[in-house]
Amino acid sequence: MAPYLSDLSHRNDPERLQQLTSHLLLQTGTPDNWGQSRITVPTSFGLARAGSSIPYELDTDKVTRLNSANIYLLSYSTLWEALGIKDIAFRIEVRTLFDLSISPTSDSTQGGQTTYTFDVTTEKTGMPVPTNLTGYVVIGTYSNKTSSSTSSSGVGTVSVSIPNSINGTALLIVFARAKANSQLVAFNAYAFGHQSPTPISSGSFTSLNPLNHVLNASLLYPSVVISNAQLFTFSYSFGLDLKAQGVQTQEYYVPSLLDASPVIMALTGYNGSTSFAEWVSYPQLPLKVGVDFENTEGTMITQSYVVTIGSAMYEAIVTLGGTV
Amino acid sequence: MFDQRGQIRIIEAFLSIAVVFSAVLVSANLPSSPNLSRQHSLASIGAQALVELDAGGTLANLIVQQDWAGIKQALDVILPLGVSFNLTVFNEEMQQVNSQLIQNSNVLGREAVSVQHVLASQTLSVKFFVLRLQLGWAG
Repeated sequence: MAPYLSDLSHRNDPERLQQLTSHLLLQTGTPDNWGQSRITVPTSFGLARAGSSIPYELDTDKVTRLNSANIYLLSYSTLWEALGIKDIAFRIEVRTLFDLSISPTSDSTQGGQTTYTFDVTTEKTGMPVPTNLTGYVVIGTYSNKTSSSTSSSGVGTVSVSIPNSINGTALLIVFARAKANSQLVAFNAYAFGHQSPTPISSGSFTSLNPLNHVLNASLLYPSVVISNAQLFTFSYSFGLDLKAQGVQTQEYYVPSLLDASPVIMALTGYNGSTSFAEWVSYPQLPLKVGVDFENTEGTMITQSYVVTIGSAMYEAIVTLGGTV
Repeated sequence: MFDQRGQIRIIEAFLSIAVVFSAVLVSANLPSSPNLSRQHSLASIGAQALVELDAGGTLANLIVQQDWAGIKQALDVILPLGVSFNLTVFNEEMQQVNSQLIQNSNVLGREAVSVQHVLASQTLSVKFFVLRLQLGWAG
């Protein structure tokens, strides 16, 4: 790689740019665990997991620190300095290999509970992806699990029931796992009011920042009270243990799991009389960091990679181009 | 006499400069093998897709189960939009194993690359397979 990193005479060579795109994903950077620390700034940039024997296995925390919604974010200029190639600008996107969308279709009340039905679509740019689905509904301290699937047309339904003895903002979390390969996953969440008004958008009451198997929840108002913190994967769900509590901050332990699934953490609570349910994924995806090359002239290369993060597969798209 | 020779030398010099200058101009405007670069990119994408699908023995299991539709679905998800593919699975004697086509569209007539990958089943009696993945940019 050394000639590609340092030899500016090849700055317009697509081969050089192509090698550099994979370099970003195959190198760990320095120190090799720079993602885990909230304050560590890497002296060289790479996203690979240290000690991995799988090519293109990325580190969950390094990826998470690229997300602009995370308070432990590393800025583009910091990453660019760490990359150390002055004539190259870059953009990195990481996302699920296919999309999952949720739309409410109906609700009915019977026997002291309300059943909500949602259409779930799993597709990759219009092409259906048949999947197995796991859905969770969370409201206050109540949660419930349901299983379903999407057909060969990529369409399915998920129904969840909530007792009418409770009310507030409910959150439906859905995981999809491709029938062809259990490592191909997608996820999404949908907030709705159960016997209460339509909820305010996510992120209005807390800022959720996972890193190094700890979830930092920054409460955006002094009056915010957390009533429940839970973790969900395709196969498992359980409550999160409180690690520390400060002024408008709470931290929870996030255990390591072998499930080939992203982890979603959901917090429910109140701000005065307003209930909320907010969530974050770990790794924190989707994300996009770097330069917008739309109006850039000159040599530019975009390369798509299938990467593994925590046993599940995602898509990483790396774009490189000259800065001069 | 000397004047005529001198004039010819000057004309020769001008012609030489013109030839060299035009050669520089033409070479500067030549693309640096864009097709080779695109093919290299496609081969890289294909090889990586097979390696990722093979991780944990998933791909070998699908072959042993003769789940050709499952393999196609996995490739549909893993390969980027705009890539046409055609996968052929051979056994150790290089006889075709897949009884159905594993392709999203025909790569015939396209500028295609071929990637080969060898894998082993994670069964008691180990079987080896050779995968030949042909790829082309759609459109």
